[in-house]
Amino acid sequence: MKTPVKHTIGEEALLGLLQKAGPQASQTLKSINERGLPTRRVEAWHYTDLRNLLKNYPDVGSSNEATAKTAMATCKIGLPGITLPIINGGYHPELATTLPQKILVASQCQTQDWGEIAKDDAIGLMNMGLASDGLTIIVNENALIEDRICLSHIMTDTKSAATRHRVKIGAGASLTLMERHLTANRVAAVTNTVCDLEVGDRSIVTWVIDQQMCDLATRFGQLNVNLGANAELTILILNSGGKLVRQEINVEVTGEGSELNIRGVNLIGEGAHIDVTTRLDLRVPDTVSNEIFRNVVVGNGHGVFQGLINVASIAQKTDARMACNSLLLSDASEFSAKPELEIFADDVQCAHGATVSDIDEDQLFYLMARGIPEKQSRELLITAFVAEVFESLEVEQIGEVLNERIDNWLSNNG
Amino acid sequence: MNLREESQERPGDQDYEELSQFHTDIESEKAPKGLSEDVIRFISAKKNEPEWMLEWRLDAYHRWLTMDEPGWARVSYPKIDFDEIYFYAAPKGFDEGPNTIDDVDPELLKTYEKLGIPLREQELLAGVKNSKIAVDAVFDSVSVVTTFREELAKAGVIFCPISEAIIEHPELVKKYMTSVVPVSDNYYSALNCAVFTDGSFVYIPEGVRCPMELSTYFRINELNTGQFERTLIIAEKGSYVSYLEGCTAPQRDENQLHAAVVELITMEDAEIKYSTVQNWYPGDENGKGGIYNFVTKRADCRGDNSKVMWTQVETGSAITWKYPSCILRGNGSQGEFYSIAVSNGAQQVDSGTKMLHLGKNTSSRIISKGISAGRSQNTYRGQVSAHRKSTDARNFTQCDSLLIGNECGAHTVPYIEAKNSSAQFEHEATTSRISEDQLFYCLQRGIPEEEAIALIVNGFVKEVIQELPMEFAVEAQKLIGISLEGSVG
Repeated sequence: MKTPVKHTIGEEALLGLLQKAGPQASQTLKSINERGLPTRRVEAWHYTDLRNLLKNYPDVGSSNEATAKTAMATCKIGLPGITLPIINGGYHPELATTLPQKILVASQCQTQDWGEIAKDDAIGLMNMGLASDGLTIIVNENALIEDRICLSHIMTDTKSAATRHRVKIGAGASLTLMERHLTANRVAAVTNTVCDLEVGDRSIVTWVIDQQMCDLATRFGQLNVNLGANAELTILILNSGGKLVRQEINVEVTGEGSELNIRGVNLIGEGAHIDVTTRLDLRVPDTVSNEIFRNVVVGNGHGVFQGLINVASIAQKTDARMACNSLLLSDASEFSAKPELEIFADDVQCAHGATVSDIDEDQLFYLMARGIPEKQSRELLITAFVAEVFESLEVEQIGEVLNERIDNWLSNNG
Repeated sequence: MNLREESQERPGDQDYEELSQFHTDIESEKAPKGLSEDVIRFISAKKNEPEWMLEWRLDAYHRWLTMDEPGWARVSYPKIDFDEIYFYAAPKGFDEGPNTIDDVDPELLKTYEKLGIPLREQELLAGVKNSKIAVDAVFDSVSVVTTFREELAKAGVIFCPISEAIIEHPELVKKYMTSVVPVSDNYYSALNCAVFTDGSFVYIPEGVRCPMELSTYFRINELNTGQFERTLIIAEKGSYVSYLEGCTAPQRDENQLHAAVVELITMEDAEIKYSTVQNWYPGDENGKGGIYNFVTKRADCRGDNSKVMWTQVETGSAITWKYPSCILRGNGSQGEFYSIAVSNGAQQVDSGTKMLHLGKNTSSRIISKGISAGRSQNTYRGQVSAHRKSTDARNFTQCDSLLIGNECGAHTVPYIEAKNSSAQFEHEATTSRISEDQLFYCLQRGIPEEEAIALIVNGFVKEVIQELPMEFAVEAQKLIGISLEGSVG
């Protein structure tokens, strides 16, 4: 009784691009042709109706050295550390910082080894169909990289870009890697980035996703992690821009004794729809994981958090916690949360908490009674609410950078 | 003695048998197997229903035919063959209905006696006068007897089988039925509309505090029979009623279907307290047999400051698929949901609630305690949402799960949706197993392990048990203990 899907304008545009993309796009093309993009009926996209939200899918972008240089200058790229620029979906090795010997970076257009992509994994499918470039980063065993590596993705035009990176961190290595997503101009760009991260045994890794695209841009991100034994991984996420954003984090914990920390702040402005969806698959005993998300929604923004913790029956002695707290600052703002637990082992400690509220009137009164004007009091309380997430990080500078972004956003949107 | 053989038998089965697992040999009259327009006409004719009712049923049937079975719940079962189910079964001799309790088949009365349901008013009257309960007993597809009707009528309360209400109070039925759960709300509600056979109808007039607890006992007796009951409770302005519901079914190797619809309506300042102890046959240890319990329960708090309280103790059924919900439409209305869901053996439970905040200053509270043992899967699925105009909505949700044994699963799937900045939603969920410290403490004081676990579990669910009416609280506590027997060791 199935009626054929009537494609939306966004889907039509995407299908057009996929048709041009060649054989790598055949699976994606077939899937989107038959099923369309996910709607609310697809459980994984319950609060992000991609079919209706994705209004357009512009042509695939390109860049040359000149545009790349301009873009980098506009975005003031050149912070301390190692910068690997990816402009309009293309990697520019000529503009990259020289790398230490312990790291190998290779740029490649991958057309093979995509692995199995689930039918509801719209980001994976779109990425597979359209990926034009990507980096393979291999970090040697026991390498201690002090400089942070920064994958700077910049869009300059109303174009689309899809990249897929593979990062393999050897056993006992330590490093900080930052994914930045920027727009050089106020353009309705669409980007799709999938990162596959393999964290070796005993390694210590901090992965930062810093997204501050303009208010017209659409971003799809997916981070797929495999966490080794006794490894420590910290994932920090800051979304402070974008019109339509969906960031997925999938972590498969396959090493005993590992520790995972996910901390995120989503600042959701007027007209924005920001969705962070995490999935933790705990497959081995004795792991600790902690997730904290703080969200601030202003105007008619819509924030979404979906978090799933799946504990396999052999994953005894798991300690997993998840918290999602949201502040709604306007009557038109909206937040939807779905923190899920799926537990098949009995000797575990699992908990999740979710709250949604406005600024606490008592706290506001306390500050105002001490002579602090209302606007300032509110800002103070909002800052305190989110800044906590990035406090006491081992990599201190990162916390500073992220907190600075939060301050900027608040002064523009507060 | 062969120890091995004995240990294969689940102790719980025996107790369940003692409690309710006997099949009553009563001649019964059934509609032909399967579902068709003719079967619906047959049911309608059996019930002497007016023409409008038949049309309404047929309409529901046609809508049902176009619908798909929902697949989103975390339960798995073989596809139900609707052609193999008897949609109507009545103990023989019920065409006219009994006039007094003495007309009731003594076999039937014995059944209820064994179940411990106080059908005979005099027996009850001999007891404490204040603890009277009016009972409506539903056996397979028909209501067999309703007690205390006269006394209730004096207070203006209507408490009767819904089939009777359709004939005697058509204006009320027409006005309220499906106003909370529309015909095509979901697959099973549409099916229920087409084939429902009985259930209770309660109407509490303005300002009346129902003088006694109302109660319905449902029992599925016949083989391959589905039970489709429909309950409608209307509490007018300023009224109050407490309603209890209990269910049992005998042990059968085949799966039986139970698809009920319950609608509650509260007007201004009215309150309904709805308590359920569900003890349908859960199937044997290997998941053979048992009831498929697919129920739609929803309350509409229409009036300002009205209140609905759902309390449920779910220990039975092979599969439970049930979400008693509250639509908080009136300003200042309140919804509460207290639940204990115990699963053991191969049971699957997917249950929870929905609190939809539409009015201003509405509040809701959800306390859910899930206990999984054996190889069972126990899921809490709940939704809390605040509408754009529902200012100052408040919700507190607490879902705790307890795991006993490492083959079972406990899952939590909450949906939290705030479309209003003045909404204040709090949700917390925990999952853990029985604390070793607590167990050690009990064992050290000479309490055997099984008893110790029962003790700890009772502590775990105390918050919910407290909300049950006294008569039910004792039964519920016993049931939980029995359901968990054999899960330790």
